[in-house]
Amino acid sequence: MRSASAKRNGLTEERIDEGIDNWRDSDEFTDAEKLALEFSELMQFEPEKIDDAFYARLGEHYSTPEMVELGVFIGFNVGYHTFFRTLDFYPMFTPDGRLVSQEESRRIYGETPVSHRDDRVVRALAESMEDVDDRPGR
Amino acid sequence: MIDPVDERAGAVPGLAETERSFTQLSGGDATFPRILAHVPGYAEAMWGAMSEALFEGAVDHRLKEIIRIRLARTAGDPYFSNLRSTSAAESGLNEDLIEAGCSDFESDPRFDESEKWALRYASRMYADPAGVDSVFYEEGKRHFTEAQIMELGGLIALFHGMAVFMSTLGNGGAGTRAVV
Repeated sequence: MRSASAKRNGLTEERIDEGIDNWRDSDEFTDAEKLALEFSELMQFEPEKIDDAFYARLGEHYSTPEMVELGVFIGFNVGYHTFFRTLDFYPMFTPDGRLVSQEESRRIYGETPVSHRDDRVVRALAESMEDVDDRPGR
Repeated sequence: MIDPVDERAGAVPGLAETERSFTQLSGGDATFPRILAHVPGYAEAMWGAMSEALFEGAVDHRLKEIIRIRLARTAGDPYFSNLRSTSAAESGLNEDLIEAGCSDFESDPRFDESEKWALRYASRMYADPAGVDSVFYEEGKRHFTEAQIMELGGLIALFHGMAVFMSTLGNGGAGTRAVV
């Protein structure tokens, strides 16, 4: 799932991958953005490390309302994505926007988030399924 | 550190009504909505979802209150750990039962099998999410409808997430640190 608004504003899969896998060493993010990404990582895995000193660092880049906005957004996502994962459901649509069953979607997306997949693989899978659906009698 | 919005700073639109609703849970300490009130609309939106999850629905509110407190303690959040639902208390939930639900509930005869499954759901969700699999959900369906399971899952996700956020603020209530 991707925010259409973020995509319209130029967010790409490459930047998403960079923000997940390589934000510490990346030249693609500002210090403020790196701190927000660190905030999200710590909140999920080591919340006890988010102390007064960390909030002081955040405060050098963000206003108090912005820190609350980030904290609530991250907390909400930390809570819900673990829950969603236990439900073992997959996107309703193929990468090219075709409505598919959960069984078909599982075959396309598998266990790996689409942001971690080679686009060519996902496209090839989606296209091969289109071929199957186009066969006579389907 | 983020302090609650100072009530002397002037009225925040919509906050007074949210605080009135919040006291149903907290007995008066409105630190959480006052922190969220830094962002316009956040206190109303988040507490609206949280109160719906906690007080409404088809699952016993007293059971959901025990789950909420268990999640807050697990997250190391003294603030939500120390709040108590006044309506759950009026319905007979006492500290002994809360303690039982927050510790080794599996062997406690005061909880029936459905309640134990719900407590297990909350305790496993973040400690062992791989253990919340299709077999676990099938067992849950022997005790709850799918709608009730989603009600429990949504409650767990929402209150865990907010408890983790509050734990990072070290805000145990009334703007001061507290011990769980």
